[in-house]
Amino acid sequence: MDLTPRTSSDNAPLAPRKRNRKWKYVAMLVVVASAGGFIVSQFLTSAIDFYCNVDEIGHRTGCEANRRLRVQGVVEKDSLKSGAGRTTFVMVFNHQSIDVMYDGDPGGIFQECIPVVAHGRLVGDIFEANRIEVKHSNQYVAANPDRLAQSKAEPCSQQAG
Amino acid sequence: MNSEAQAIKGVGTPATRMYGLMAIVALGWVLLGGLIFTPEDAVQGDAVRIMYVHVPTAWVAYLAFIVTGVASACWMIGKKHSLGFDRVAGASAEVGVVFMGMTLLSGSLWGRITWGTFWVWDPRLTTTAFMFVTYIGYLAVRGLGGTAQQRARRSSVIALLAVLEIPLVHFSVVMWRSLHQRATVLSPDGDIKMDGLMLFTLLFGVFGFSVLFAWLVSHRQRIMTMQDAQQTSALDAAVTERLKEAQV
Repeated sequence: MDLTPRTSSDNAPLAPRKRNRKWKYVAMLVVVASAGGFIVSQFLTSAIDFYCNVDEIGHRTGCEANRRLRVQGVVEKDSLKSGAGRTTFVMVFNHQSIDVMYDGDPGGIFQECIPVVAHGRLVGDIFEANRIEVKHSNQYVAANPDRLAQSKAEPCSQQAG
Repeated sequence: MNSEAQAIKGVGTPATRMYGLMAIVALGWVLLGGLIFTPEDAVQGDAVRIMYVHVPTAWVAYLAFIVTGVASACWMIGKKHSLGFDRVAGASAEVGVVFMGMTLLSGSLWGRITWGTFWVWDPRLTTTAFMFVTYIGYLAVRGLGGTAQQRARRSSVIALLAVLEIPLVHFSVVMWRSLHQRATVLSPDGDIKMDGLMLFTLLFGVFGFSVLFAWLVSHRQRIMTMQDAQQTSALDAAVTERLKEAQV
């Protein structure tokens, strides 16, 4: 039995409108599949091995010193210097350190004693970064001036990050 | 209209009204607690207040997708293949996608303030984006047409596969190196490193958003029931009309 919706002389046929609605979802699926493919490619090329630790540069596959790297470590206490549009600091991890130079202000909650991921290249003994991301911990402590003063008096270079 | 549609005069019930009231009270506290009563974080300052939205919406998105998976399994396993399960699955996925979108948006704002960037392709963010896109795909498949049972069959298979992404997203920060911090409340060592009032407000937020989820899904699945009933009645009318024509 033919149950196709009727067309009427007054109104436009109903069937094409239904078909259009279906194509809208098909188009949505194509967009979703493309986005999914792009995300998977980002996962395989970027996310799966997001950074090297400071002590792994030149010692771990994918962390060769002659390539562009993302390096993770803690900003050493009393090493941070800013001026003339440039920020320099020492990044430490597992008793290994590296000098980092960045043109600009890193932004975020960048400060001493906080883990960061620096993107860039090793030029000589200096890591020239063009992007810095702050990696905050999973600890949430109420701001307390006494505690802050106490923590500032302690060294921070051996934080695991 | 068939009896199922006639039975539903509106989409509100005493239970949904109670959910709505509880959600308003709980989220009212989260608003006050999050913005006024809870302290600043020692490192992040006021940026930590985004957590009271970001974490509960992420939790509710997980919950929503688990409900979608369980309801789809119930549809598949049940002998009657009750469409009620399919509607709960669909409604829950819709709400979950909205909450996941809120998670990504609030996380992006939080990331800009703390990390210094809106987005980074690290394991947690990448797997979350993939899960978000997967469930948008799930909703697209639900809209492809066919009968309600065909819709249920197609979407239940996808829901059962997609729910496997939840552990992948949750443990991504443990399995791979991530810029995103590890879990605080659900940390593997069970040691919650959070100020007491912050934790209380966060858990209240989880409760409030969960009740909001229940309220939204209850309404949405009842609207879906009405839509399905309307479609069925239109088909019944068409069949009756053609049968009349054949008799003439």
